[in-house]
Amino acid sequence: MRVTTKGALALSLILVLAACGGAGEDDGAGSGSAGAPGNTAGFDGKTIKLGVLTPLSGTVAVIGQPLTAGNEVWFEALNAKGGIGGKYKVELVQEDTQYKTDIAVQKYNKIKGDVVAFTQVLGTAPTLAVLPQLRTDKMLAAPASLDALWVREDNLLPVGGPYQVQAINAMDYYLSEGGGSKSDKVCTMIQDDVYGEAGQQGIDFAAEKYGFTVTNTQKFKVGTENYAGQIGALAGNGCQLVFLVATPSDAAKIWGTAAQARFAPQWIGQSPSYTGALAKSAVAPYMQQSVLIVAEGTEWGDDSVPGMKDMVAAATKYASDQEPDYYFAFGYNQARAMTAVLEKAVELGDLSHEGILKASAELGKVGFDGLAGDYQYGPAETRNPPRSSTIFAVDPSKPFGLRKVKYNFTSDAAKEFEFKKSDL
Amino acid sequence: MSKPHRNLVRDYVQDLRLFGSPLSKVGLALMLATLVVLPTVVQDDFWLSVLIYSGITAIGAIGLNLLTGYCGQISLGHAFFIGAGAYCAAVVGGDAGLPLPLWLLASAAVGAVLGGLIGPFTLRLRGHYLAIVTLGLIFIGEHLWRNLRDVTGGNNGTSVGAEATIGPVDLGALEIAGENYSRNQGYFWLVWALVAIVALLAKNLVRTRPGRALRAVRDHDQAAEVIGVRAGRYKIGAFMVSSAIAAMAGALFGSYQQHVSPDDWTLLLSIQYIAIIIVGGLGTIFGAILGAIFVGALPALIDEYSGVLPGVATEAGGDGFISVFALNQAIFGLLIVLFLVFEPRGLAGIWVRIKAYFKAWPFSY
Repeated sequence: MRVTTKGALALSLILVLAACGGAGEDDGAGSGSAGAPGNTAGFDGKTIKLGVLTPLSGTVAVIGQPLTAGNEVWFEALNAKGGIGGKYKVELVQEDTQYKTDIAVQKYNKIKGDVVAFTQVLGTAPTLAVLPQLRTDKMLAAPASLDALWVREDNLLPVGGPYQVQAINAMDYYLSEGGGSKSDKVCTMIQDDVYGEAGQQGIDFAAEKYGFTVTNTQKFKVGTENYAGQIGALAGNGCQLVFLVATPSDAAKIWGTAAQARFAPQWIGQSPSYTGALAKSAVAPYMQQSVLIVAEGTEWGDDSVPGMKDMVAAATKYASDQEPDYYFAFGYNQARAMTAVLEKAVELGDLSHEGILKASAELGKVGFDGLAGDYQYGPAETRNPPRSSTIFAVDPSKPFGLRKVKYNFTSDAAKEFEFKKSDL
Repeated sequence: MSKPHRNLVRDYVQDLRLFGSPLSKVGLALMLATLVVLPTVVQDDFWLSVLIYSGITAIGAIGLNLLTGYCGQISLGHAFFIGAGAYCAAVVGGDAGLPLPLWLLASAAVGAVLGGLIGPFTLRLRGHYLAIVTLGLIFIGEHLWRNLRDVTGGNNGTSVGAEATIGPVDLGALEIAGENYSRNQGYFWLVWALVAIVALLAKNLVRTRPGRALRAVRDHDQAAEVIGVRAGRYKIGAFMVSSAIAAMAGALFGSYQQHVSPDDWTLLLSIQYIAIIIVGGLGTIFGAILGAIFVGALPALIDEYSGVLPGVATEAGGDGFISVFALNQAIFGLLIVLFLVFEPRGLAGIWVRIKAYFKAWPFSY
């Protein structure tokens, strides 16, 4: 292609035009004085806006919808009481990630300038995908998954005991009150991804502490059609306890296959393996007999726990068609943790992205009224997540199909588990 | 003697012209101007990131179109090569800290080698059988990504530290004449300039001898052998070029997103690429780019504006009979179906018809 003088002129003109349109960061931004936070991205002096990145369509929407409803109900109840610091209302800006990393990054870019922080980023992979940008933008986000990876990240605000803690406590229960012994054949069946590894890590840690051995481990891919092979292997090894790390649609098939094969060990499922619909399905009788679930908090509608009483009251008031669901409770807890950060930030008089990160680092212990264990926040390296879990049995007569067996206990081994910063 | 009409082609050189007519020269200038000016007008990070991902997808789609559209080999393994490119960028650009041209070329080289290894399978297999074999590649890949922890970080994935630096210029934090440009602006220029380069290279390939050979192989490989085209060589060659381009797209994806995990390279990604080249138009370079923009940006557009429709709930549990997100996917699906029914040659087909209309003007009927 010949480059003509005219072309070169036109090109240079364009370049000059372009030179005026930088969108890079320019220095200088207003900052608030103590007492009254200054206006900043996501805060106009009256309303605080928080971002939500969650799958609202697609297969994971069954988790994203109730979780987000949990966020909403908490903040609606809070707004009715006046809001953050008694005067600032909170509004959510929701975006659908479809559980895809590239969409999550796009949607993050879409709303990052309109929010003070993200009160929910659902899923391990989407969280990891936005993490580099959270760091450069000095943004705080609350991940909606129980990965141990999050504990030591300054830009993340996790809630709840990580999966490892659940697994360790589950083994403690099985060996002490669940009628198991160290010589039992303990097996695991895990999803072949980060989530599966987290559960396995907990079981391996417990094996070392309590002196049992893991006889057999079966891995599977999400969405596998036929589990006969894995179930056959577990049965062939004579497994007496199988710890399952799965999501509900796979768990239903796994337990269905086991029931058909008349293989009935004691199953303990990690919390995301279960959903209320399972208690109404055809596998419910098998699950009632053989399955325990390890999770946090208490059964839906348990009036003896103050947090649950408040939550059910708020849910009835602000989301009357909300089905009992522990993902709802998770979203509710997340919103509570974020509220604690915002209260702190308002106290420090700075709702900018950096101000919120600072508030998160200065936050002390946050209690969840029995819906989850108390979380010791602060700088990421000194954070201490809750080490407590609850064991549930399947009981279709209960609202969410779960009856508490052992509520809110902490094993010694779970206390000893160390969370290390991983290279993300 | 007066000049012949612009549509009259008298020799091969004229036939090869890329931007022959005055109109297409104006078109080229407009496209280049858009490339340069757009990020300074649209400074919004959301739209820039949508366009960056679309551009990355466009590069990958050009690669697949060379293989599937021109050489007629259906491959479901495209996601494998894209993933390989991303991990290569993580190693060469991140861990070793080499600059942009090196990690981009290294990824392309790795893609080409992998494509060269897979290519020979295509000699014996055709059509659906090839699709199934390349499907296997996805699953082998997934196993590798999840287990080669040193390179891929296992299930957690790995951060990709490949910076977009060429010498002293860092496209991630560009500064020209005292003006600061955001990372998204810099990446927009990088990605779309690469789209232009890759498109030009691919166009050069398909309008000359290799391109005719590829199309001969696509239409009937035995007949192609009979007329003197070495079908085997071209099949493997197409696979290598296509994989190299896919790996470059993967490297850019990793560098832009800064973190990649095995969940990014699933069968769904391969199918999405096939959808893109079908929607865009099989066997056209321009179609691959149009398709990538269509599939990448349309959901964002619908998402942005479907909220104003009545009866649509914009948040979880809100009022309305359908959520904006479900509506978005429904509209998108419907558009794809309508396209395939009414315009099977894809977006590029529409473009060609418009062009033909004006070329023959005032005798267009």
